[in-house]
Amino acid sequence: MIPQNHFLILGAVLFAMGLYGALTRRTAIGILMSIELILNAANINLITFNKFIGSEALGQVFALFVMAIAAASAVIGLVLVIAVYRNMKTIFTEKMNILKW
Amino acid sequence: MVRSAHLIPLFPFAAFAVNILFGRRLRKASALVSIGASFISLAIAAITFIGNARYGEGSYMVGRWLSFGGISLDFGVTVDPLSCMMLMVVTVVGTLIQIYSIGYMRDDVRFSRFFAYMSLFMGSMLGLLLSDNFVMLYIFWEGVGLCSYLLISFWFERPAAAKAGMKAFITTRIGDTGLLIGILLLFFTTKTLYFRDLGNLGINDAMLTAIALLIFCGAVGKSAQFPLHVWLPDAMEGPTPVSALIHAATMVAAGVYLVARTYGLFLSHHASLIWVAYIGAITAFMAATIATVNNDIKRILAYSTISQLGLMMLALGVGGYDGGTFHLMTHAFFKALLFLCAGSVIHAVHTQDIFKMGGLLGKMKATGWTFIIGALAIAGVPPLSGFWSKDEILSEILREGHPVLFGVAAVTSLLTAFYMFRLIFVVLFGKPRSELHAHESPAVMTVPLGILAAFSIFAGFFRPVKIEPLMMGVSIAVSAAGIGIAYVFYIAGNKVLPASFRSRFAFLYDLISNKYYVDEIYEAIIIRPAVRLAGIAAAFDSKVVDGAVNLTAYLSVIAGKVQYWFDLYIVDGIVNMTANITWLCSAVFRRLQTGFVQNYILIAFFGLAIMILIKLTGGQ
Amino acid sequence: MMNGLIRQLSDIVNNYGLPQDFVVQASFYVIAGLACVFAFGVVAMRNIFHCAVSLALCLFCVAGVYLFLNAEFLAIAQVLIYVGAIVTLFIFAIMLTANIEDRSIRQANRQALVSAVVAAAILSFFIFIIIGAPWKASDAAVATGPGLENLGRALMSVYALPFEFISLILLAALVGAIVIGKAGRR
Repeated sequence: MIPQNHFLILGAVLFAMGLYGALTRRTAIGILMSIELILNAANINLITFNKFIGSEALGQVFALFVMAIAAASAVIGLVLVIAVYRNMKTIFTEKMNILKW
Repeated sequence: MVRSAHLIPLFPFAAFAVNILFGRRLRKASALVSIGASFISLAIAAITFIGNARYGEGSYMVGRWLSFGGISLDFGVTVDPLSCMMLMVVTVVGTLIQIYSIGYMRDDVRFSRFFAYMSLFMGSMLGLLLSDNFVMLYIFWEGVGLCSYLLISFWFERPAAAKAGMKAFITTRIGDTGLLIGILLLFFTTKTLYFRDLGNLGINDAMLTAIALLIFCGAVGKSAQFPLHVWLPDAMEGPTPVSALIHAATMVAAGVYLVARTYGLFLSHHASLIWVAYIGAITAFMAATIATVNNDIKRILAYSTISQLGLMMLALGVGGYDGGTFHLMTHAFFKALLFLCAGSVIHAVHTQDIFKMGGLLGKMKATGWTFIIGALAIAGVPPLSGFWSKDEILSEILREGHPVLFGVAAVTSLLTAFYMFRLIFVVLFGKPRSELHAHESPAVMTVPLGILAAFSIFAGFFRPVKIEPLMMGVSIAVSAAGIGIAYVFYIAGNKVLPASFRSRFAFLYDLISNKYYVDEIYEAIIIRPAVRLAGIAAAFDSKVVDGAVNLTAYLSVIAGKVQYWFDLYIVDGIVNMTANITWLCSAVFRRLQTGFVQNYILIAFFGLAIMILIKLTGGQ
Repeated sequence: MMNGLIRQLSDIVNNYGLPQDFVVQASFYVIAGLACVFAFGVVAMRNIFHCAVSLALCLFCVAGVYLFLNAEFLAIAQVLIYVGAIVTLFIFAIMLTANIEDRSIRQANRQALVSAVVAAAILSFFIFIIIGAPWKASDAAVATGPGLENLGRALMSVYALPFEFISLILLAALVGAIVIGKAGRR
């Protein structure tokens, strides 16, 4: 009923928004949230392909795994943000530029 | 015939080598080495002499030296009456003088060196006498010249002695150059250099005259004839034995010997021979006049030598070969005797000015009487040797028909007698003119005096005696006149007559006592321009040559500075420029390292977009 | 099951004269549109707490989208994991670190414009590719999803290894979080 392209376009839009957010947000938590968006866009793609191309359960299993990975990465990321906040007393990524020349 | 004559020079040469190398260790024994060698030479010379008297003359070859282009030069020995006589004279006189030197040079520091040089001289002189071609002669000629230089400037700490040595060497060198040119000319025209060939050379007269005169140049230098006589008086700076041996008896006789040896060449053309006579005459007269007003005992004898050599040249020049060579022999004996006596006197009173001496006959009997004997000989008083030889010269001059030259020779003989007895009367007679502590010399010095005196008396009888009453009367008259005038001046009218003569002939006196200003003329004409030329050359060297060198150095400095600038600004500039470019590039590119993660992600996705764009538009 | 619900819903709707499919499609577009809106809210809102809430709502919408794709289990799992755990974590972290109330802090950094351009470009490229690419399947595709039972069986048999790995990764993340988050380490 709903054509495949529309799901894929939805995924692309979410991906683009997540990309924009990852590039522009000034706080680390904002970036992490954007990354969650990107991962979800990927999930949408996977499940779309699973429904329309019809490999047995691969797409959904993969999407499940992606969700688990996203969770793990969110956990670690947030812990790191908290650790950095403890050390540098800032959440703004512009200040986290020790690698600068 | 005994073929051992070539050994004669060898022994003195060996003695020279030994004394030079081991003199320091031998010290006083070096005299024995020299005298021993000299004595052996004397023995062999005697044997040769006797052999020559018995078997006649000849020459033989000793060894080959050079041969090129069909011409060969050999070492050869010539044995004939002339060379045998000279050999005997040189060995006898040389040995006696060396014995005398033991005493005279006893306190000298360089005792052994003296005897070494004496041996070298003996060897060279004997080699000269024996040589049978011009090349050998020239070698030994130079050898005796060298020894003369070494021995005149033996006491080289005194600047006068050093200068005298140089003057002698340079003046004789001028003569030697003429000799060398003559030898070369002879070789290139005739291809032979042997003395025995000189009688019959097939070349034209002009060439013969030229060669003869050039060879005579050498003789003029060595025998101190005018105009190259200036070195002999100054050579008296050397020790008296040196003056006796070299400058009285032997070396100066080498010139006369040369003319005698090459007589055949001179005889070929009349013009060259007459030149010899005239030069001889001028020299004899001039030197005799100078001797009459000189006050230095050795210089009087030096001028006397010059005068007597002139007389010998005069004799040879008019064709009197026998007279000239005879006088050569007798003169050697009594001149050596006179010099040794003078040396003995100087050794005793430590002055050479005769007007500081006087009355020495009483204190130095042996020296004094032998001195008188020598003076009698040179004055030509019979029956001493000098009378016979001088008489022969005078008669030969007249016989060959040269009245003017005869007159000159006669006047010279008179002057000879005069100045000789002036010397005798002032030194040996009268009262001492200053404080003198005279004592007789040791036996080692007086014995040779006695032997030489004996020779002076009896040497005249080696030749067959010919009595020519007229000529002999003239000779005796001349000698007596000379002695008489000397007596009048210096014994009878002492201090008055000489002074009055001096004031009356003041101009003449000044001219003569300044030796005719010959030295001054040479100084002005030759020496000063030469020195100035040397100065110019030196200035040229320091300014131009050194200037060029300094210029190159200066240019090198400038080049170095340019290179420094180049290195500093350009080379370093290039290096710095590469470094700066790297810095600039890095300054640009390091801005990528913002340390800002989102920048990195942006760049990554930007790249991704580009890649997708390229893929979509069909690019590879 | 969901399909049945929707069918019942669509039957009711059908009674009101609307085509059955239309409701389904319309609801999809609504949910998709809401997801986009909330996603934009995530990236554009100034207050970071609002961003977190917006994220939660967006994830809800995405779960709804999953329903349309016959992935019922995944939709529930999405709600449970994402909204229930991850967003909660985010809110915890925000509370611990961020300065929420300050309105003067600019939310976007200096490279906003460039990254907007790049994102738009990539989005356009993707849409271009999606529309232009010959996808293998047609609309008349698999009607039903694999179903829960098949999913579980697949997870335990064919994909057992990745499943174990995932559990290991989750364990590592847990340990890492505890280690890094410990207050005493310096």
